[in-house]
Amino acid sequence: MHTAAKNQAETHLLEAAREFQKCMQCGKCRSVCPVFKEMGNELYVARGKNKLAEKIVSGDLQISARVKDAVNQCLNCKTCSANCPAGVSPEHVVLRLRWYITTQEGLGFFKALLFRQIVWRKWPIGLAAVLVGLCQRLLFGIGPKNPVRHLFPLFGFSKRRNFPTMALRSAQSRYPEVIPARTGAKRMRVGYFTGCAGNLIYTNVVKSVVDILTAYGCEVVIPKRQKCNGTPVLANGDYEGARRLMEHNFNLFKKYDFDAIVVACSSCGLSLKKEINLFIEPGDELTAFTGKVRDINEFIHNSLDIKQEHLGPLPYRVTYHDPCHLVRGQGISAEPRNLLRRIPGIEFKELTEAAVCCGSAGSYCLTHYDTAIKINNHKVRHIREAGVDMVATACPTCVMHIQDNLLQHNSPEDVRFVVEILADSLRAAGTI
Amino acid sequence: MNARCITELTLIFGKDHILTELEDMIAYSYDAAHVEVLPEVVVFARTTEQISQLMRLAYREKIPVTPRGQGSGLSGGSVPLQRGIVLVMDRMNSILDFDPANRLITVEAGLTTSEIDRTAVSTGLFYPPDPGSVSFSTIGGNVAENAGGLRGLKYGVTKDYVKMLEIVLPKGDIVRLGNRCVKHVAGLNAESLFVGSEGILGIITTVTLALLPIPEHRESALAIFDTLENAAQAVADIIAAGVTPSTMEFMDNTTIKAIQNFKDCGLPRDAEAVLLIETDGEFHSAQAEMARVEAQVKKNSARQFNRARDAEERDRLFEGRRVALNALASVKPNLILEDATVVRSRLPEMVRGIIDIAARYRIMVGIFGHAGDGNLHPTFLIDMKDREEMVRTESAVKELFQLAIDLGGTISGEHGIGIEKKPFLENQLGEASMNLLRDIKRTLDPENLLNPGKIFDMPAIY
Ligand SMILES: Cc1cc2nc3c(=O)[nH]c(=O)nc-3n(C[C@H](O)[C@H](O)[C@H](O)COP(=O)(O)OP(=O)(O)OC[C@H]3O[C@@H](n4cnc5c(N)ncnc54)[C@H](O)[C@@H]3O)c2cc1C
Ligand code: SF4
Ligand code: SF4
Repeated sequence: MHTAAKNQAETHLLEAAREFQKCMQCGKCRSVCPVFKEMGNELYVARGKNKLAEKIVSGDLQISARVKDAVNQCLNCKTCSANCPAGVSPEHVVLRLRWYITTQEGLGFFKALLFRQIVWRKWPIGLAAVLVGLCQRLLFGIGPKNPVRHLFPLFGFSKRRNFPTMALRSAQSRYPEVIPARTGAKRMRVGYFTGCAGNLIYTNVVKSVVDILTAYGCEVVIPKRQKCNGTPVLANGDYEGARRLMEHNFNLFKKYDFDAIVVACSSCGLSLKKEINLFIEPGDELTAFTGKVRDINEFIHNSLDIKQEHLGPLPYRVTYHDPCHLVRGQGISAEPRNLLRRIPGIEFKELTEAAVCCGSAGSYCLTHYDTAIKINNHKVRHIREAGVDMVATACPTCVMHIQDNLLQHNSPEDVRFVVEILADSLRAAGTI
Repeated sequence: MNARCITELTLIFGKDHILTELEDMIAYSYDAAHVEVLPEVVVFARTTEQISQLMRLAYREKIPVTPRGQGSGLSGGSVPLQRGIVLVMDRMNSILDFDPANRLITVEAGLTTSEIDRTAVSTGLFYPPDPGSVSFSTIGGNVAENAGGLRGLKYGVTKDYVKMLEIVLPKGDIVRLGNRCVKHVAGLNAESLFVGSEGILGIITTVTLALLPIPEHRESALAIFDTLENAAQAVADIIAAGVTPSTMEFMDNTTIKAIQNFKDCGLPRDAEAVLLIETDGEFHSAQAEMARVEAQVKKNSARQFNRARDAEERDRLFEGRRVALNALASVKPNLILEDATVVRSRLPEMVRGIIDIAARYRIMVGIFGHAGDGNLHPTFLIDMKDREEMVRTESAVKELFQLAIDLGGTISGEHGIGIEKKPFLENQLGEASMNLLRDIKRTLDPENLLNPGKIFDMPAIY
C-alpha cells in the first residue's frame, strides 16, 4: 500500500479508537438502537460495533464480509450517542471503520464513479435526473409508484421501492443567483444551500423557502456552483470525496458576505454546522461559517417576524416526525412544531416516538430496503394511530422513505416539509 | 465443537436463532465487566422445551452452557469462561399472564424489566425493584443477580417479589417452584435458592412476580453537607428516627465535582456530600415523613435543604444522580465500580475507610450510591494501561472487600460475585458455608457444565 494511504488508514483507526475506548460496554444502546431492535444480534448494536473496531485495531480481526455487513448496518441516526452514558459516538466509530475499509479495499468502481465523478461534476446527475424524470412522466405516467423501479436492481437497490418523481428543471436553474427581497428594504442577505434533493426532486421546497424569505425582507442568494454537502459520500466511506466537497462549498460560501446560510435539509444542516469541522482547518473563518448556518425552521422561527394575521387557515390534522439529523444532530425539535401549531385551522397531534429514526438514513433505505422497511413499519403504525391527514418533517430522505412505506400500506397520509405547509398558509392569507 | 452438535443445535433452535461466525462470537464474548471469552456457538431460545433439549445435549456431549440475558452484568456472569455455548434469553420476552386482582404478573425470563411497568401501570400497579439498568437488563438476569435499585431501602430487592419460577435444571429437567399465594410454606421455599444463583444452578425461563399499587404521592429533597460525617450520620439518624424514605442517595465531593464538570446540574462544587431523599405514600404521610427527614438533616448541620415543589423540580434535583456514573467515567480512561455494602449504622465508618484506602494507594475514588440501604458504589477512577496504578488498584480493592467484611457487611450488594470476586467469597462466608454451596451445585450439576467458573470454582475434592 502507498505510505500516504497507509497513514490515512491508521489515522482513521486511531480516531475510531479514541471513541470506542470510552465505551463501558453497559449495553444501554441495546434499548435504543433501531437496527439492533430489528436484527436482535449484538453484532449490530453500538457496543458490538465498538467491539469490532477494537478487535480490528488490535489486529485480532480482519476485514471480512461479516465485518462489512455489520459496519454497513448503521443508520447514523445518533440515537446511541444521544443516550450513551459514557458520551461515546458509536456512529463515528462506524464512519471511521467505513473509511478504513475504503482505504484498504478502494472505493469500488461504481462508488468511485458515483462519488468522485458524478457527484463532483454535478451535471451528469442533473442529466440523469432529467432522463429519469422524463421516463417517469412520458413512459409510465406521473406518480410515486412508477415502474422505473424495475431498473433499481441494476444499482443494488430494491425494486419494490417507490421513488419520487424527478424534476425536469432543477430548482437552481429556475432562479437567478441573486433573488432580491420583495418587500420593503432588504433586512438580510441570506445564502441558500439547496441540497441535491431540493434542487432535483423537492423543488417546491426551494420555491417555498425563496417565497417566504424574500417576502420577509431577505435577499436570497443561491450560489450556482454549490455541490453536494458530502454526507452521502462520507456515509459510504469516501473520506477524500467528502473532504473535496466540504472544502468546495466552504470556499464558495465564504466569498459572499452572508448574514445567514439556510438549509432545508437536516443532513445538509448537520454537515455544514458540525461534520465540516472534521475536514476544514479550524480557525476564525470556519467558526464564522458554521456560526451562520441555520436550519430553515430555526431561521424562520427565530429571525422572521411572521405575524399571526399573515397566516391563512389550512384544514389539516398534522403530526411531525423528527429527522435524526435535526433533533439529535442539531438539537432542533420545538421550532418546527411551533411553526405548525401557529397555523390557523391546523390540528396538531404529537406522534408517538416522534424522534425515533424512520429507517431512511440516506442510501441505507436503498441498500438495506428490508430492514429499513421493518424499522419504518413502527413509524407507519404510529402515524396511522395518530389519525392525521399529513405528516410534516424536515428531511428529504425521511419524506421519501415514509411516503414510500405509507403507499406500501395503502395509507392515504401525505408527507410534506414544514416549510411547504407554512408557505401554503402564508399564500392562503395572501402574504406571499 | 463438532459439526454434528452444530447441526443438532440448529435443529433445536432453527437456523435464524444460532450463530457460529467469529464476528458474532466476539459480539457475545463480554458483558459490562472486564473479562472476554469467545463462545463457540450462540443460540437464542424461544421456548422452555428448547432449553431442556439443549441441556440434555450439553450433558450428553459435555459442553459448557452459559445463560445470558442482556449482558449488562457487572461481574462477568454471562461471559462463557470455558467457551462452549452461550444461551441468549432475550428472545423469550412475552408477558404470559397479568393478574391485577392478585397483583401478580407472569413473564418470560428474557423480557426487559422496564416492560413490566408498561403493562402494570394501566391498573395502577408497579414492579418496585428498579436497577439502573432497568431498561437494558432482563427480568431473568435480575432474578439471577438478585438485582436491587434506588428504592431498595423501602421496597426491598428482586428476591422480595419473586413468587414462582419455571426453571430448566442443568440435566434438562423442567421444574416449577413457588406458589401464587401470598403465603405458602409447602416445599423448602426452593424458588429462593435460584434467586441470586448467577446462572449456575438452573436456567430461569418464566417468572411470576408480585406487584404493588403505585404510591399516591412523592416528596423529593436535596440535602447539602459540609462534612462527610454529617451526611453519613444524617442517614443513620433518619433511619433511627423511624422514617423509611423510598430513596436515599449519597454523592461525595469527587462525584459532585465530576458531575458539575460533565454537565451543570446545579450542585455546589464545594459541598463535601449531598443526599437525595424521597418519601412516598399517601399525600399527608409522605409530607409528614419528609418533615421528619428535614429535622434530622438540620440536626446534622446540613448547609441547605431544598424540597422539590413539582415533578419538574424533582427531575432537576435527580439529574445529577442520573449522570453520576457517566460523569465519573469521563474523569479517567477507566473505572472500577464496586458495590461493597454494610449495614446502615456502619456507613460513616465505611465512608471514612474507603477514603483512607484510596488515599493510601493514591487512587482517585468517587463515592456515590444507595446510602439508605448501606449499598455504596465506591468507584475507582483509573487508567488500565498504567500497570503500576493497576497493581495499586488491585490491592485497594482487596482492602475494600476486607473492610466491608470487617464491618459485618458483604463484598457484593447487588452486582454478584461472577468472576473477579471469587477469591474473596470464602473470606466472607467461611469454609463450611462454601462447602455447602459446592454441595448444592454438585447435586444439581454434577458435571459442572452450567456457567462453570462463576461464584466459586469446583475443585475435584474439597
Ligand atoms: C449502567 C448499569 C447500571 C446497573 N445498575 C444496577 C443496579 O442499580 N442494581 C443492580 O442490582 N444491578 C445493576 N447493574 C447490573 C446488571 O444490570 C444486573 O446484574 C442485571 O440484573 C443483569 O441482567 P442481564 O439481563 O443483563 O443479565 P446478564 O448480564 O446477561 O447475566 C447476568 C447473570 O445472570 C445469569 N442469567 C441471565 N439470565 C438468566 C436466566 N434466564 N436464567 C439463569 N441465569 C440467567 C447469567 O448467566 C449471568 O450470570 C447495572 C449494570 C449497568 C451496566
Ligand atoms: S451505551 Fe455507550 S457506553 Fe454503553 S455500551 Fe453502548 S456505546 Fe458503550
Ligand atoms: S447510529 Fe443509530 S443505527 Fe447506528 S449504532 Fe447508533 S443507534 Fe444504531
